[in-house]
Amino acid sequence: MIRLRGIKLVWAASFLVSIALLLLPFVFKLDGKTHADWQQFLGRFHPLVVHLPIGLILLVPLLELAGKYRPAMLEAAMFVLSLSVLSCLLALVLGYLLAYGSGDAGAGVARHMWGGIALTIGVLACALLRGASGGPRGFYPYMLVCVLVLLAWTAHQGGSLTHGNNYLTEYLPAPLKRLGVGTVRAEASAFPDSFYAKHIHPIFDANCVVCHGAQKVKGGLRLDTYDRAMRGGEDGAVIIPEKPERSILLQRITLPPDHKKFMPSEGKPPLKPEEIAWIQAWILQGASPEMKSLAGIYVHEEEALPQVPDYSGKMKEIEQTARSAGVTLVPVSRNLGDGLILNTVDAGQKFGDAQLAGLVRFAPYIVEAQLGRTSVTDGCFPTLAKFTHLRALHLEETAVTGAGLSSLTQLPQLSYLNLSGTQVTEAAIAPLKTMKNMRHLYLYNTPAERQQP
Amino acid sequence: MKQHPLCTDPDHGPTIMDLPIAEGLKTEWAELQTRRHFFGRAGKMLGWAAMASLSGERIFTGDAHAANVVPSAQSVRLPHFAPKAKRAIYLFMSGGPPQMDLLDYKPNLAQLYDKDVPDSVRGAQQLTGMTAGQARFPIAPSHWAFKQYGKTGTWVSDLLPYTARMVDDLTIIKSTNTEAINHEPAIMLLNTGNMNSGKPCLGAWLSYGLGSMNDNLPTFVVLLSKTNPKENNQPVSSRLWSSGFLSSEYAGVAMRSSGDPVLYLSDPKGVNRDVRRKMLDAVNEINRQTSQELGDPETNSRISQYEMAYRMQTSVPELTDTSREPQSTWDLYGPDAKEPGTYAYNCLMARRMAERGVRFIQVYKRGWDVHADVTGMLPVLCQETDRATYALVTDLKRRGLLDDTLVIWGGEFGRTVYSQGGLTPENYGRDHHPRCFTTWMAGGGVRPGITFGETDDYSYNVVKDPVPVRDFNATVLHCLGIDHNKLTYKFQGLDQKLTGTTPASVVTNLLA
Repeated sequence: MIRLRGIKLVWAASFLVSIALLLLPFVFKLDGKTHADWQQFLGRFHPLVVHLPIGLILLVPLLELAGKYRPAMLEAAMFVLSLSVLSCLLALVLGYLLAYGSGDAGAGVARHMWGGIALTIGVLACALLRGASGGPRGFYPYMLVCVLVLLAWTAHQGGSLTHGNNYLTEYLPAPLKRLGVGTVRAEASAFPDSFYAKHIHPIFDANCVVCHGAQKVKGGLRLDTYDRAMRGGEDGAVIIPEKPERSILLQRITLPPDHKKFMPSEGKPPLKPEEIAWIQAWILQGASPEMKSLAGIYVHEEEALPQVPDYSGKMKEIEQTARSAGVTLVPVSRNLGDGLILNTVDAGQKFGDAQLAGLVRFAPYIVEAQLGRTSVTDGCFPTLAKFTHLRALHLEETAVTGAGLSSLTQLPQLSYLNLSGTQVTEAAIAPLKTMKNMRHLYLYNTPAERQQP
Repeated sequence: MKQHPLCTDPDHGPTIMDLPIAEGLKTEWAELQTRRHFFGRAGKMLGWAAMASLSGERIFTGDAHAANVVPSAQSVRLPHFAPKAKRAIYLFMSGGPPQMDLLDYKPNLAQLYDKDVPDSVRGAQQLTGMTAGQARFPIAPSHWAFKQYGKTGTWVSDLLPYTARMVDDLTIIKSTNTEAINHEPAIMLLNTGNMNSGKPCLGAWLSYGLGSMNDNLPTFVVLLSKTNPKENNQPVSSRLWSSGFLSSEYAGVAMRSSGDPVLYLSDPKGVNRDVRRKMLDAVNEINRQTSQELGDPETNSRISQYEMAYRMQTSVPELTDTSREPQSTWDLYGPDAKEPGTYAYNCLMARRMAERGVRFIQVYKRGWDVHADVTGMLPVLCQETDRATYALVTDLKRRGLLDDTLVIWGGEFGRTVYSQGGLTPENYGRDHHPRCFTTWMAGGGVRPGITFGETDDYSYNVVKDPVPVRDFNATVLHCLGIDHNKLTYKFQGLDQKLTGTTPASVVTNLLA
């Protein structure tokens, strides 16, 4: 009888604790304002303590399974589960102190908080169910599975708060990225080609948005979109166009790193001098969301080369065909996807339209065709139109006159075309002007060059 | 097996080489044979000893271009990534051009005429024997005025009116620096990454790593410019274009500045091309037998060198036949370019070789060692080189070659701001200066129109963004698609590389 009452007491107490936890966010609202320092002091132990329940909870299913072979493990499972409850409660309280004390707010903080509360109640329920006899005992395994899923989700939310949203997906292999995995980042700007979108936003994203983003909004400032960055925080605007010296954002990132107000705070690495220079120049030149480049600022960009289809199985065949044509097909680099270069320097005049046509089955793999000083004529253009991945085409010192040159407009990636020393005219090259990627067109020593103003 | 024509051993019977077994096994056997032969024949022929000790264990280790590999995805090792430049032209200003008279503008020096360089600037630096004994180190401001040119507003000396026209295409490095203060170690360091001779040079590493782009001309050519006897010409020699411990087929082929560009290339009188061919076939056959017997890759190198020389008998005359160059070429390069062996002629040849698939062309211009009479000699040196250098870059650019050709200009070190010997308002001398010197690059892979690095007010020390030689070379390799840490060759127990053992890094701010 006493035992029964004891159990009932435990159930009742657990119920009350759960209600209290659920009410907590409504009583002490996370309003984004900082509170007492002691709260922050204790709260900062949350990241340390939080690993205790994680380890303990993960141990429970292992002990349960091991219990099949060694019954002592089952006893241990109950003990570990009880410890899990206590450590969960401790971590939850510390976590709440951290958020409340330091004025954290935002969707990510809220998700992590509700996850923590739900998890704590779940673990508590697990402990109760496991201790129960008869019917309710049967729910225990299901509850445990739910708790494990909830644990993973809550822990991930917490991780995203400290490391940033794209921490796990940033270095995702490119093929997976293309499948759409990890493309959670919202469009930051209406002008994807602007200096802001390409260079400034990524700096904010990597260094600031962890605390000044949708997940966490410190000081009321969000830097995750252009509009919010310009709106500023509780102290007003942080970016003042054309006035870098008055822009709080720039002031805070250029303080000495040990200064109390230095950003990024809490020992995160300072911005690189280059990044600070970009931000400064961007603000000085109007902090525009559209401007594509800034005077005096040059950004080194490694552009990823478009890849050709896989030909690794055909290398022997390619080699033989090339050899019999007296030419070489050389990989651009050890990454075979970068494609092949058709080199005809040894064949010279022996290489003509017919030989080119003989290589057409390897056309999609060829990214550069060096046909300079060969005997190709205007007849090569229909063939070349099949070289769909061609980026560079050399036709210098050949007999081409430009008739049929327009078929090259079918090559979307063609960015280099050398027609030096040929007979092409201004009229013949006119169709090339529609090609978006054509950046290097050489007409030295041609009628076209002489016709140009 | 037929008896070796040069061998008098009577006891030759059938050997492993005649058996129908895998080539690999035969090669392995041949490798082992080297040592056996050495012991067996040491008494008979002293030459074998030298041969075997040369080949030793480096046979077939890590050769990027082992013959007859079946093409496969794994056999492509280089370039490590898609390169911006396929070839490079290195304009080497041997002797050490004075940076503060050409590109490193120091306007404040004019007021410091004949004042001493402060001790705080010189520090505890050890000077050369030529000026260490000087009682004073009087500052010699540049004799020439500087003006700003191009959209970039880059300051250029009046000595370089042509270079001034292309500053927007150049990547100027004012902070290049070296550890060597004398010509030989400095020029070795720049070319091979080591002050001691015996290491492969940049061009040899490129040939070894990237291979040839054509069959009829060498991968790596060195063009020596005619010397001006009035200039102070420091010697350059084949150790600067040596392949070191790499196979000798990767060494540079030097073309001479007068007479036949390549010695012994023309057939001797009375020998026609057929006879030459037959003779070569016979020599090759003998060499092939030697190769089978001993497995020394150097023998194969020799065979390929003979064959290359034979093909060059037709390709070099075609290369040097400038009769079909348009008038615009001569207008650009100037009249000097018509005279074989001049620097201008070599610049034109460099362009013609670039068009014909030569991977690396190094043009040497000697005479920049201006210890005295700077005001007399520097105008001569600049007159000899400025226009042709501009012409080369411009010619490459208008012909669409600059996109994938890296042009490099520089010497082995800089020169001192203080005068060596007497300083007068009209004249001065400058001693060697390793702590800073100005170089530039242009074309494939580098960022045009920038000036990188800064020197102090005396052009004495680098104050911002130093570029040591190893970083300079790492950057050059990067432009050609090579990770300098991965292009290695095991020799003497070390994975040798161009940039040496001190950690080097690519100067990414120079890259396009």
